[in-house]
Amino acid sequence: MAAIPFPRRRPGRVSLARREALWGYAFLSPWVIGFLALTLIPMVATLAFTFTNINLAQEEPLRFVGFENYQRLLADPQTWQTLGVTLRYAAISLPVAMILPFALALLLNSRSVRGTGPLRVLYFLPYVVPFVAGVLIWQGMLNGETGWLNAVLRFIGIQHPPNWLDDPSVVYPALVLVGIWGIGAGIIVNLAGLRGIPTELYDAATIDGAGWWASLRHVTLPMMSPVIFYTLTLGVVDVLQYFLVPLVLNDGTGAPAGTTLFLNLYIYKTFFTYQDMAYGATLAWFLFLITLAFTLVLFWGARRWVYYAGAR
Amino acid sequence: MTSRRIVALLAVVPLLLAACGGPTSNKTQIRWYCCLGGGDGEDQVKVEEAVVAKFNASHPTIKLIFEHQPYEAAFDIFSTEISSDNPPDIVGPLGIGGGNAFPNQWLDLTDLIAEHKYDLSQFPANTVQIYQFGAEGQIGIPFAYYPSVLFYKKSDFTEAGLNEPPHKLGDKYTFPDGTQADWNYDTARKVALLLTVDKNGKDATQAGFDSDNVVQWGYEPQRDDMRQTGADWAPGKLLADDGKTAQIPDAWAASWHWFYDGIWKDHFAMTGPQFESPDYNPSDYPFFTGNVAMSANYLWSTYGVGDLGEDWDIGILPSYNGTVTAAFNADTFRITKHTKHPEEAWTVLTYLLDDARADLLGTYVGMPARPGEQAAFFDTLSANYKQKVDWQVAIDSVKYADVPNFESPMPHYNKAFDLIDQTYSHWQSTPGLDLDKEIADLRDKLQQLFDQP
Repeated sequence: MAAIPFPRRRPGRVSLARREALWGYAFLSPWVIGFLALTLIPMVATLAFTFTNINLAQEEPLRFVGFENYQRLLADPQTWQTLGVTLRYAAISLPVAMILPFALALLLNSRSVRGTGPLRVLYFLPYVVPFVAGVLIWQGMLNGETGWLNAVLRFIGIQHPPNWLDDPSVVYPALVLVGIWGIGAGIIVNLAGLRGIPTELYDAATIDGAGWWASLRHVTLPMMSPVIFYTLTLGVVDVLQYFLVPLVLNDGTGAPAGTTLFLNLYIYKTFFTYQDMAYGATLAWFLFLITLAFTLVLFWGARRWVYYAGAR
Repeated sequence: MTSRRIVALLAVVPLLLAACGGPTSNKTQIRWYCCLGGGDGEDQVKVEEAVVAKFNASHPTIKLIFEHQPYEAAFDIFSTEISSDNPPDIVGPLGIGGGNAFPNQWLDLTDLIAEHKYDLSQFPANTVQIYQFGAEGQIGIPFAYYPSVLFYKKSDFTEAGLNEPPHKLGDKYTFPDGTQADWNYDTARKVALLLTVDKNGKDATQAGFDSDNVVQWGYEPQRDDMRQTGADWAPGKLLADDGKTAQIPDAWAASWHWFYDGIWKDHFAMTGPQFESPDYNPSDYPFFTGNVAMSANYLWSTYGVGDLGEDWDIGILPSYNGTVTAAFNADTFRITKHTKHPEEAWTVLTYLLDDARADLLGTYVGMPARPGEQAAFFDTLSANYKQKVDWQVAIDSVKYADVPNFESPMPHYNKAFDLIDQTYSHWQSTPGLDLDKEIADLRDKLQQLFDQP
């Protein structure tokens, strides 16, 4: 019996799968090129900078300095002060940034609240205002003399309301207030998570005699744990990179008394104001390593409390 | 090749050519970077663009490209351009402090001045020396001055029944009862108190004056930089002549005490939050909106007095220990040391300093560095204001310019500037400070900074 000839591929033609893969790479390439050009290569370059004496004035010839910049970082009190500022602010702002959007999303998801559609829009609306414009508006609102906030406090009888932006003891709550401006996105993420929880779980819990609190604790929180983990991780990364608000609100001076000189702001100033690129790059890598450490700890801990319903 | 492919190719080639800038030009491109000092006002940019157009029309071998950035972003962008090896050729208008913020970035013009026989003798010698920076050489040529003067709102004096401040050094101030006093900071304080008014119409000398509800302040020193406040009292600098030691000139400390007390005890000066408030100070300086009766500021600040109409004039600054000192700003254009075309950059530089100076000085409200041109400059300026402003005060104030200038170089200039900025901001927003201790702390911190390698 003669063998049936195997159909040969026409020369110069690529298979469908290969063609699809090529198209896939073609569509991916803008991101890959962008990532290489704007992220990975600059990252590698900054790592190289950390071992040099590169700066804008470059009064000395460019040379390899080994770990000098890292030694300087460890001995630089400003590094630890600015890290302390960042962590102190994180301790205040992170719980607010986590709990408030979750609580508001719970409220908006409740059947007993009417007008949730317009409320969702209202909560999200500030998020679409350019952030710098929002910060400038807050600058006016928090002004100790003429700000609306203090006008309200005076109206209700507080004769000497705090000087929000100039008093070290109240500046962090003021910054948290500014941060609340942008919780619309957090509400939407939480709301999407809440909407994804199967209602039969609540029905089963109700049959088992669970009240509101028990349902929240034993159904909502476990089912929302991936969303909470996601927002927590992003929140930690965001707060470690906190920058724009103090830059705009206090012109990046760190006023009052250095309490708004965050680590990321110090990095920016070291680069652009003090023009010390090598040390700025070292500080940037320091921040990267801190962020990485926090993120790894979060991922390690997530195994204990994050529940993925679909996971095997 | 199919006709469709040919059409596509024909469509793409012109786009590629356009993207690449089309046919290459033989002109040397020189980039003029603005605005690390002034020059970023809407009207100023129009004048600058017109100057560029005129230059390009008259210079067939050079293409001048104007690159202007708002002041707030200009420092970062300039840093980025230098660090990415893409620096501009010419920078300006640029003040002394703005230049100091970028040490070792400016071309020494000594050889170009000699080669082109540029006549520096047309400028007063001390103004040429301002731009001689030791090993960096002659990094600038005088162009514009902005002496400090005392702006005042005439109607505030009339309403308070007070005489206006003196216009000449040595003239005394006459109080309503006919007594006369030297025009010094003690007298200025007394006048400022009489001009500080609360919402009930009481001035700061009267019983029942409500310091929590001031609606008109008596005196506003130049507070952009604490060194300027000090330099209106006496010349000085924070770095001693040995180039290593941090110092606080006594007169500067006295000026800071005077201002601090003016804010927190006498209430004739705005607090920091009041100064930052858009309600009290919506446009850079509170004098512009008529909330302040007297304001020490530079000549360039005339850009903002339009809303006061004819209700303002300028007087001489008060004296300290019998001497008047007027802090001054000076702007010029500089060539960056990284320029690949120093000869062409020199052509542009001298065009801006010489041919285009009338247009540029006019829009910057900069007093010409050439003494012979100052009278004509003020004649032109007078046309903008219906009242008769006593410009002679500004001309006279040059004689009292602070030498050494308060913006003199110091080690780690940007860090030191940051430190004094934070300190001054703290004082303006915090009552009850022990200012002597604060000043001592500032000196110690500056010394630590100067001691750093």
